[in-house]
Amino acid sequence: MSAPRTLVDVSRLPSVTFGHRSLLWWGTLGFALIEGFTLVLMAASYFYLRLNEYEWPPGRTPDPDLLIPTINTVLLLAVVVPMRMADRAAKRFDRAGVIRGLLIALAMTVGVAVLRWWELLALNVRWDAHAYASVAWGGVVLHATLLVVDVFETGTLAALFLSRKAKRKHYPDVSDAADYQYFLSLAWVPLYLIVYWGPRLL
Amino acid sequence: MARTEAEVSAGLLDAEGRAEMERTWRGRPGFWGWLTTTDHKSVATRYVATAFLFFLLGGLEAAALRLQLARPENGLLDPDQYSQLFTMHGTTMMFLFGVPVQLAMAIYLVPLMVGTRNVAFPRLNAFGYWVYLIGGLLLYSGFALNTGPDAGWFSYVPLSGPQYSPGKRIDVWAQTVTFTEVAALVAAVELIVTIFKQRAPGMSLNRMPLYLWSVLITSFVVLFAMPSVALASLMLAFDRLIGTHFFNPAEGGDPLLWQHLFWFFGHPEVYIMFIPATGFISTIIPVFARRKMFGHTALVLSLVATGFLSFGLWVHHMFTTGLPQLGQSFFTAASLMIAIPSGVQVFCWLATLWAGRPRFDTPLLFVLGFIVLFTLGGITGVMVASVPFDQQAHDTYFVVAHLHYVQIGAFVFPLFAAFYYWFPKITGRMLSETLGKWNFWLFFVGVNVTFFPQHFLGLMGMTRRVYTYLPETGWGPLNLLSSVGAGVIAVSVLLFLANIVRSLRRGAPAGDDPWGSHTLEWGTSSPPPSYNFLHIPVVQGLYALWERTPDSPVAVGMNPRRREILLTTVLDAVPDARYQHPGPSLAPLLAALAVGVTFIGGIFTPWAFVVGPALLFPALLRWFWTQDRHAGPPTPPEEPA
Repeated sequence: MSAPRTLVDVSRLPSVTFGHRSLLWWGTLGFALIEGFTLVLMAASYFYLRLNEYEWPPGRTPDPDLLIPTINTVLLLAVVVPMRMADRAAKRFDRAGVIRGLLIALAMTVGVAVLRWWELLALNVRWDAHAYASVAWGGVVLHATLLVVDVFETGTLAALFLSRKAKRKHYPDVSDAADYQYFLSLAWVPLYLIVYWGPRLL
Repeated sequence: MARTEAEVSAGLLDAEGRAEMERTWRGRPGFWGWLTTTDHKSVATRYVATAFLFFLLGGLEAAALRLQLARPENGLLDPDQYSQLFTMHGTTMMFLFGVPVQLAMAIYLVPLMVGTRNVAFPRLNAFGYWVYLIGGLLLYSGFALNTGPDAGWFSYVPLSGPQYSPGKRIDVWAQTVTFTEVAALVAAVELIVTIFKQRAPGMSLNRMPLYLWSVLITSFVVLFAMPSVALASLMLAFDRLIGTHFFNPAEGGDPLLWQHLFWFFGHPEVYIMFIPATGFISTIIPVFARRKMFGHTALVLSLVATGFLSFGLWVHHMFTTGLPQLGQSFFTAASLMIAIPSGVQVFCWLATLWAGRPRFDTPLLFVLGFIVLFTLGGITGVMVASVPFDQQAHDTYFVVAHLHYVQIGAFVFPLFAAFYYWFPKITGRMLSETLGKWNFWLFFVGVNVTFFPQHFLGLMGMTRRVYTYLPETGWGPLNLLSSVGAGVIAVSVLLFLANIVRSLRRGAPAGDDPWGSHTLEWGTSSPPPSYNFLHIPVVQGLYALWERTPDSPVAVGMNPRRREILLTTVLDAVPDARYQHPGPSLAPLLAALAVGVTFIGGIFTPWAFVVGPALLFPALLRWFWTQDRHAGPPTPPEEPA
């Protein structure tokens, strides 16, 4: 008979963990890295193409408007607040708090996504006019696709918690969705500065 | 091993527990099971098989090119067919074989080697395979309909732009690339998280085998390289489809932007194929030299250095585009510098072999072949890193010879070593050693006969991508020799196929560990059960199996009726949490089809970018709302929230 084994008992380990102790947190971090780096490359392309023109925007293209984009940027940054509420409620396993935070965040993000259309119009040029127009549209649209993903994620989570099907293991998902939202809001700031202020400064 | 009653009551699973594990982890039966599986072994096996099929297709394309070039003024292929074939060959080998096969091997091996039951995100994993398959089918459907891309595997603008490449050929190329990028990116994320969070207890970073290091670093390289080509291919598609001007110099765009974005991906891509290959080698050499690896820490640091430096070389593909001199000097220095970590690795491998008692089975032969070919390819690499030399050799057969020595030497040979080494684990049967040795020697001779003369052809002035040449050039004899070599390679690959078919039917049974290996995958049966390990092993040293004793500890207490995996801490692999994995699902396939509608439809109408995502949303809802379903017994209810 073999010698008795040393056994490492893991049965008492938690099955619901937050932050870097959860798998999805790492997955979210991975996709934020990919998407963030794609935005960095888009910004690099913007500066690279700038070198080809004497004037920026080229020719008689007007500067982009600032009003709507600035309002929308503030709104997008403000989404962090209800997401933070949802995040903290999730860590307390407080269903009502999670729903409240998610619904407010969802409403605000949908608002940002709708305003994004006027943000594109505020560029004052069509994407097919010249390279400046293409890369400015490219930056805003690229971030808009991430915004759509975010609306979907927040909406699905809100529906899950409203439907009462949410289990304990879904609370860390709220926390991870909040982390993604922080990334999305913060990643927009440099893009906003480049696309809407760049033509005035470069 | 028989368990005592005391052990069973302490949590060790007996026969009944084993049956319960099997019920929990097995997939659904039949064709439905094939479509819905999320088991990393099933997904990876079909991934490797698909990639290998593309390798064979790419090889047939190469054979056609070599037949055409075998003699001057040959009329076998016309210029258009030739252009499509060399583009298909390059695109297939780089995008449909090279990167996917390395990630697929990792998807099979990593969970077993870290001692867990599946990859971190099993549904995402299945999704990645389907997306890749759709991309490959798109490329070959296009080719079959005479819409195969024809602007080379790096599709330089303006040739590939709307003005010089009307029609849909380049769109097929650009979307194929987008599919393969998505597949590679999701695989990279899964692999990183699997390695960080699912290592068996005790496998702290300093006890992590070199193959896992190589996959970890490769995955990070994928994370930062792939977005570049994904962005570039989208820009190209938009230039062609909706009239943007990213690459159109007449409207302020820049063709060199394409080259920067492409090679910022394209050069690291070489390392995406090469770094895991070094992981194969560092796994195989200690087993066949029968001693521990010399310089483990130096090897890890070399891998990390290679990963970083791989991003500092891309401009050496652009030395003839008129760069500022400072740029040329910087990228020459960076290109030379990467020879340092590569050299460190080669010396560590040689030292291990030198100090060991080598057993010259087929896997080791392929490793030795690698060392020779990689060194030759590396030497010409140092040559073309020098700007004046590169300006002479650029776009000639010298570069063709260099890149094939590097790719075949540093990637295909280690991959074949890996096939021979891990085939017994995957199938439970050994490959024939006799056929294996024929396979190796014919391959080794064939590669040298094919590609060594191409150095001289290049120096004689033969440019790449010409469909024929005049007899007066004097290139005929060396081209004929090169084509004969290609024939030898073809015979060698046929022998490999014959070996697989023969061994699947009547290969010798392998047992759990036919080679006397040291990594954890050899500590379970061959092929491994659906749950990989009955008990999660506890690792006690860098060479997990060599340092294991009969009473080595294992982890107990996981619920066999749930798809539970054990999460451990990133640095020290201390048990930290139990996590329930999702079961099999059709949703990954449905989501991949929706992505397919988006990108393939996008070639024809921008509305596809509305319809595709609209189809994607229900697929994702199904994905996330059916997490708990699996083929086993009903999951015990969880405590209410």
